[in-house]
Amino acid sequence: MKRSHLSGYLFLVPYLLLFSGFLILPLGYGLGLSVFRWELLSPVSAKFIGWNNYAEALRSDYFWKAFGATFRFVVMAVPATVGSALLIACGLNRVGGAKRQSFYRAAYFVPTLISISVAGILWRWFYNSEFGLFNAFLAQWGLKVPWLTDVAVAMKSVVLMTLWWTVGGPVVIFLAGLKQIPNQYYEAAAIDGAGTLQRFFHITLPLLRPVLLFVVVMSIIGSFQVFGQTFMMTRGGPELSTRVLVQYIYETAFTNYRMGYAAAMSWLLFVAIAAFSILQFRLMRER
Amino acid sequence: MMQLPGKGLMVNRSYCRIAVVLLLLSFLLGLFLAGGCGKASDHVTIRFWNVFTGPDGRTMLRLVKRFNRENPDIRVLMQRIEWPSYYNKLFIAGLGGRAPEVCVIHTDVLERFIQAGFVHPIDEFLGGEYGLDGEDFDANVWEAVEKEGKHYALPLDVHPLGLYYNKRLFREAGIVDAEGEAKPPTDRQEFLDAAEKLTRDLDGDGTNDQWGFVYTWLRTNVYAVMAQWGGEAFNEARTSCLLNTQANVEALQFCADLVQEYGVAPSPEHFDAWIGFRQGKVGMALEGIYMLPDLEKQTDLDYAGVPVPLFGNILATWASSHNLCIRSDLDREEQMASWRFVKYLSDHSVDWAVGGQVPVRKSLRESEAFRRLEVQSEFAKQIPYVKYMPRVPFILEFYSEFDLAVEKALRGSVSPQEALDVATVNVNKVIERQNAMLHEAKSRESG
Repeated sequence: MKRSHLSGYLFLVPYLLLFSGFLILPLGYGLGLSVFRWELLSPVSAKFIGWNNYAEALRSDYFWKAFGATFRFVVMAVPATVGSALLIACGLNRVGGAKRQSFYRAAYFVPTLISISVAGILWRWFYNSEFGLFNAFLAQWGLKVPWLTDVAVAMKSVVLMTLWWTVGGPVVIFLAGLKQIPNQYYEAAAIDGAGTLQRFFHITLPLLRPVLLFVVVMSIIGSFQVFGQTFMMTRGGPELSTRVLVQYIYETAFTNYRMGYAAAMSWLLFVAIAAFSILQFRLMRER
Repeated sequence: MMQLPGKGLMVNRSYCRIAVVLLLLSFLLGLFLAGGCGKASDHVTIRFWNVFTGPDGRTMLRLVKRFNRENPDIRVLMQRIEWPSYYNKLFIAGLGGRAPEVCVIHTDVLERFIQAGFVHPIDEFLGGEYGLDGEDFDANVWEAVEKEGKHYALPLDVHPLGLYYNKRLFREAGIVDAEGEAKPPTDRQEFLDAAEKLTRDLDGDGTNDQWGFVYTWLRTNVYAVMAQWGGEAFNEARTSCLLNTQANVEALQFCADLVQEYGVAPSPEHFDAWIGFRQGKVGMALEGIYMLPDLEKQTDLDYAGVPVPLFGNILATWASSHNLCIRSDLDREEQMASWRFVKYLSDHSVDWAVGGQVPVRKSLRESEAFRRLEVQSEFAKQIPYVKYMPRVPFILEFYSEFDLAVEKALRGSVSPQEALDVATVNVNKVIERQNAMLHEAKSRESG
């Protein structure tokens, strides 16, 4: 090993220590756990049971219901977040004046800073169908929406709240990406007579692709791990329609104390996230 | 101090920094020394964990401080932990051998702590110098902390479910007695009549905006009604789930009818329905005595509390208790110190009741101080017939099945029979899993 390499590794040591101590090690431990039956309440100690935990999860209605709820959230939340963030960023990019622009950027970003417990409780009150703010407003037109109490509506309400809560992050990233696009391209296109939409689809979008890929993949990963919003607003209800996988894993591990089974489900979730992320990478690269 | 411009100022700043560092160091040293002193002196330190993060926590802290003053040989350190993570922390601390000497455990989850061997039976302390008479507890309350002849905790209070009602709405609806005072219902017919009169469409838009009744917590509300029908969740040996027996199905049908058939309660909204009651848009709600401090803060609500009406054919209601538990692996000195603290809290539980609780000891409930607490006294009338949740170690898994079944039935997605059938099958699966493990443990012991 060359001396110069050594110093490089030395600089990496602190991070590598943390990374392996708090990520690699627990990951491996979790994988090991997932082939054991280990229940904290049980008088018997852990027992090797092979793939049984995985088999139980794949046979369980509750697992698939939770997976379905998570999937529905991802399918709605990712396009909604990425789409609106892109729109907002494009809009902000055209706002004149650096001060004014940073004010609006901050305005969109502020909700991201609110902790999920606060945001969740706040929106639960907004959404309350009998006494909530939204329905009080809609009552003017005689409307009454069962925001969190109807099986068909609840997840959409969660997505709407998530949009408000998380859109600020991608907006900032898109805005930075937009600023990287040299103005000459737009000028040239304008001279050639390209309209706003044409410029968006033929200049902005292609040049933004690396940023877009990053945002989409991060958004997918984040959305698969959704937990706080649903837990604070619905506790997984009504009738488990918003009980997502992470909540089910949490309940399995920390209220029912079935550690092995929970570890197995965590790995299934990990596989799902990895699969969708890779798929997304492929799709967006090959174009 | 001389101050020179430029460089002099910088010198001063770095002196300041050194001074701050020295101060911090000496502070840390002080902490170490103080800690050392603590060990050297002869008092016993008792860590006391509880869930009292609301106003009740301040009441408890006052009691703890008083105890520390009156008992210089014991020092109690109280730690309040938020509800959602409390039992996780307590259980994990128990597993890691770092559990507090004394802690508060609700009756429904006590069984899992007993099974895990984390709590010490208190029977040996009941006689002797700091003794206490078990007879001072109601039989059902005392039995709830007993297992195989041993009592594993000292109940501190009992919090039964009762009926809160809005007196103003009652008067407006003409549900009054001879003196024109609001008259709360005592049986099913009176309840339904009152609920129907109270459910109104005030602004004439075709939807109700005032409700006779709301479900605030489905689990406790429905469990209380099932108990009134004589329903049981398990057989005596807890080897089989009985949720789908006729009594339970009929009781759940009645609960669902309030929403579907009579239309006197809105579709379940969980806890937020309580806000409706506080806003004066709801006539009646079944809630625990612990909600009282919430109402007492409110000056514009004319409310009162009474025992739960007789919906079924047996007087019953749901209740739980905060129980004081002592860690299982303490030495004799720590044990006695813990017990003295536990007994002190029990002896002073009338002071505790002020924060929205009912003292569990009969002798204290007869005191003048307690009788002055109006709602508490009314709710306390139910104590002889309160019913605790079933005592199974897998209670939380039972809850998730029970809650789901009740929710589905009340929302009318499936019939009560169907909902309870599914829950019964799933709970029986949990029992099977548990039994398999217990069986394995036994065969391992013998083999």
